[in-house]
Amino acid sequence: MDRPLEILAVCGVGMGSSLMLKMTAEDALRALGVEARVENTDISSARGMTPDVIIGQGMHTSEIEDLAPVVITVSDFLDKDGLEVQLRERLTEKGWLR
Amino acid sequence: MDFIKDILTFLANNVFGQVPILIGLITLAGLLLQRKRFEDVLAGALRATIGVVILFIGVEIFTGGLTSFQTVLASAMGTDPPKAEHTLTDFFQEQGGTIALVITVAFLAHVLIVRLFPAAHYLYLTGHLMFWISTVTVASLVLLAPGADQLTLVLCGAGFVAAYWTLQPIWMRPLMRRVMPDDRFGFAHTSSLAALATGVLAKPLGDRDKHDTEKLKLPRQLSFFKDVNVSTALVISVIMLLGIAFADDGVVNKLAAEMDDKLSPWVWGLMVGLRFAGGIAILLYGVRMFLGEIVPAFKGFSDRVIPGTRPALDAPTVFPVAPTAVMVGFVSSTVVFLACLGIFAAAGWFTLAPPMIMLFFVGGAAAVFGNAVAGWRGALLGGVLSGLILAIGQAVTWGLYEKTAPELATLADPDWYAIAWLLKATDPVIGGAGVWAVPVVALGATVATLFILGRKEKARSEEEPAAAEQEPAAERA
Repeated sequence: MDRPLEILAVCGVGMGSSLMLKMTAEDALRALGVEARVENTDISSARGMTPDVIIGQGMHTSEIEDLAPVVITVSDFLDKDGLEVQLRERLTEKGWLR
Repeated sequence: MDFIKDILTFLANNVFGQVPILIGLITLAGLLLQRKRFEDVLAGALRATIGVVILFIGVEIFTGGLTSFQTVLASAMGTDPPKAEHTLTDFFQEQGGTIALVITVAFLAHVLIVRLFPAAHYLYLTGHLMFWISTVTVASLVLLAPGADQLTLVLCGAGFVAAYWTLQPIWMRPLMRRVMPDDRFGFAHTSSLAALATGVLAKPLGDRDKHDTEKLKLPRQLSFFKDVNVSTALVISVIMLLGIAFADDGVVNKLAAEMDDKLSPWVWGLMVGLRFAGGIAILLYGVRMFLGEIVPAFKGFSDRVIPGTRPALDAPTVFPVAPTAVMVGFVSSTVVFLACLGIFAAAGWFTLAPPMIMLFFVGGAAAVFGNAVAGWRGALLGGVLSGLILAIGQAVTWGLYEKTAPELATLADPDWYAIAWLLKATDPVIGGAGVWAVPVVALGATVATLFILGRKEKARSEEEPAAAEQEPAAERA
């Protein structure tokens, strides 16, 4: 991809856990060497956005599965390594990671 | 000397009294400390500043909707709406700067405590609650010491708040270990006392292995309710329409005409519900915008001072453990709250406004812990307790903040009510200059607790170093 990836971390009201998820995602993306802009928001606002990747917990991602080309479900908001593995696999699938 | 005094007065009125500017400057300092690029520093500080401006606009719309809601509901039940001599908007105008400084000073004190006492374990990182707990504490201190200057309020508030941020994840630790056996992060949410009560009271109710909520299947239709914007708009609008059906026509027509004199009262009622939800959404958007800058800056700072410390995080971080329990808790707390709304209003006691966000997060969190102790009965108990605490808390605390920021009572979690009443209880004892006793006692209690815990933990690890290490792994298996 010739532009930074747009990544959205979501949670119920978009303040607490999605912000933690955003910081975890930024660390994981830095480790992967992917240039990306990560934002965090609530599940309502997410519906009006067009990110490349959405990250959230299953309770929320199950409702917005088709909102982005890649939707990643996590159960641990601090698990940088786990998220890195998921991101590597899914981004490689899309050809966004070389 | 007058010259210096002029400068200080100017700073007090235009910097320390103006929250958006103050928050912008605090963020600026945080970003500079992290040695971010110039454009990131500038953009970050501006985003934080705009976030605060948006927050205030949201608060104004929300309080407008709240007033209409309470007036109509009170009229329908033939009682008086809750009195408000002051509004949250006024309070933020007057004390917003104090609140911003309390957050900053308290965070520095909290980092220092965690650095000095390993037994503290966790760094409190739930940004929006750092903001709200500081707000509640300042609102209480202003009542305790009406004439206190800003410096006194900031130092007293910060001491108390730092103690709370340090102790709250610790008193939740035993329950957290049941939910998250690997203990990689703590629980930092103001639902803690409801969760704690649930954990204790649920013990005789059952057994997680036999009655786990995650074996239940809930109707799919419930899931749209999880979107707090949707559930707030829906619940408030429906109650508004019911209220209008029974309210005095004169009252309703007058209020409706204030918005638009061609509007049908029914459509007006719907609009009030939607504006109420919209106001909360705007308020949250503003909070999100300034937290998005401040929390990473705070975290960057603490990573440098106390590297490797475990964070204590917002309630939803435990939700993936038992999503069904969350729904059980949310639905049961909402049902109980709505029942209280009817009962309190019929008794002419208080017109409650349903706080859907708190019902979701407090009910959900209490239910996750209840489930961890006793399965679905525990989860149900968590929801019911949360609904009761939120209803009774709102009804009794509104009056407490009548002269400062009564709307806080409708936005509150259980711990806010506990703090409000704890500080209120000290009023006859201390009052006035005695307000300094608040941070002194709070910090003293914190240090004593950490000292005792530290010695206990040390003794335990010396006795059985291997067992202490294996304990979490064994629980998990």
